[in-house]
Amino acid sequence: MNELFSQPSRILIISLMILGILALAFSGMFSTLSSVVNAPLISAQSWFSQQYQAARDFVTAPRDVTVLRQEISALEAENARLQAEIIDLQQQLIEFEILSALLEFARSHPEHQYLGASVIGRDPSPFLNYILINRGSDDGLRRGMPVVTHNGLAGRITQVTPSGARVQLITDPTTSINVKIQPTGAEAILSGSITGDISLQQIPQDAAINPGNLILTSGLGGNFPANIIIGQITSVRRQENALFQSASVQPVTDYENLDIVLVITNFNPIDTGPLIPTPENP
Amino acid sequence: MTFLIGLPILIITAILQTTVISRMPLLNGTADLMLIVITAWALQRQISTSWQWALLGGMLIDYYSGLPFGVYTLSYLALNGAAVILKNRVWQFSYLMHLLLALLGTLLIQGFSVIIILLQGTALPLGTVLQQVILPSLILNLLLTFPIYLLINDVAEQIKPSAVKL
Repeated sequence: MNELFSQPSRILIISLMILGILALAFSGMFSTLSSVVNAPLISAQSWFSQQYQAARDFVTAPRDVTVLRQEISALEAENARLQAEIIDLQQQLIEFEILSALLEFARSHPEHQYLGASVIGRDPSPFLNYILINRGSDDGLRRGMPVVTHNGLAGRITQVTPSGARVQLITDPTTSINVKIQPTGAEAILSGSITGDISLQQIPQDAAINPGNLILTSGLGGNFPANIIIGQITSVRRQENALFQSASVQPVTDYENLDIVLVITNFNPIDTGPLIPTPENP
Repeated sequence: MTFLIGLPILIITAILQTTVISRMPLLNGTADLMLIVITAWALQRQISTSWQWALLGGMLIDYYSGLPFGVYTLSYLALNGAAVILKNRVWQFSYLMHLLLALLGTLLIQGFSVIIILLQGTALPLGTVLQQVILPSLILNLLLTFPIYLLINDVAEQIKPSAVKL
C-alpha cells in the first residue's frame, strides 16, 4: 500500500474521503445510521445523569433541610412577633376607644374636673362589689369622690392610700343612692344587691314610671353630683296596697369589665351624718 | 426561713386573688386562692410554723378587702388551727383533709362575711346568697385544692424534705 501511493497522494485521498463523509452527513444520508447509534447512547447518558442527580440530592438534601428548618424557625419567630404586635395594637385600640369615650364624657360634663385611673383589681370577697384603682391621695384623691365611666356613674371612693384607692360600685349590696326618674322627675332610692343587679326602691305610688325611663343621680344627700346617668328601668313592680313602687334597672355600665374610670376631683361630698337625729342629739 | 420564702408566695397569691381570681366568678361566687394555699401549707407534716403564713396571708387579704380588718386573718388562723389538729390526729389522706378544710374554710369565711354585712344593716336574701355565692365559691375552691396541694407539697419538700422511714 505504501508502495502504490506516494505520501501526498495518501493525504489527498484521506482528505477527499473525509470531505465525502462530511458531505454525506450534511446531506442527511447518515440520519438513519445516527439514530440507530444515538438511541442507546442517549439512553445510557440519561440513566447516568439520573443516577448522578439522585446521588447529588442524597448528599445535598440534608443540608437543604437544615437551611429550611432554620428559615421556618425564623419565620415562626417573625410570625409570633407580628402576632404579639397585633395583640398589642388591638389592646391599644381598645384603650384608645375607652379613652376617647371618657374624653367625650368629660367634654359633655365640663363642670367637673376629672382624673383618669386604671382598675387594678377587685375585692377578694364575693359579697362586696369594690374595685381597686391605681390613683391615691398622692394624686389628690379623697374619700367620697364620685367615680364615673364613659357611660355613667360607677361608684365612689371609700378608702384611699397614697398610691391607690378602693371604689365602692353602685352594684354593691350596701349601696343606696338618691336618684330621679326621667322624664317624670320622680325621686327614688337606688340599691345594689348581692348578685350585682340594681333596683329602685321607694318610688311614690302616684309616680308614672315606665320601662325605658332614665335613671339619673338627683344630687340629694350630697354624695354624688346631680344628673349623672345610671341606667334605664326595665320593669316596674306596683302593688295596690303598698306604700311605694319598685323597679328593676339595667345599668348603662358593664361593671364586670371596668378597665379605666374617671374620678371627679372637684366634687366635695357632704357628710350629713351630724344632721341625722340620734338618741343623744334628738 | 419558711416565713421568708412564704412572703413572696403569699404576696403573689394576694395579687393573683385580686387581679385574676376575683374577675373569674362562677355565678357570683369566686375562689379563695389564699385559703387554699394556707390550708395546703398547714397540712404539710414537716412544717410547724404554718400560723405565720396564715397570719400574713390573712392580713394581706384584709388589706385588699372592704370587709372589716381581721375577718380573713381570724378565719385563716382558725383554719390553720384546725389543719394542725387534723394533721396531728390523722396520719394519712392529707389531700382529703385539704378538701375538708376547703369546705370548712369556705363556709366559715363566707358565713362570717354574711354575718358582718347583716350586722352593718344590709339585708341579704340568704337563699340567694347560698345559691349564687356560697355554693359556686365552694365548687371553685374544691376544684383548686388538687393543683394547689401538689404545688405546695413540692414547695414544702424543696424547703424541708420530709423524713424518710427506714
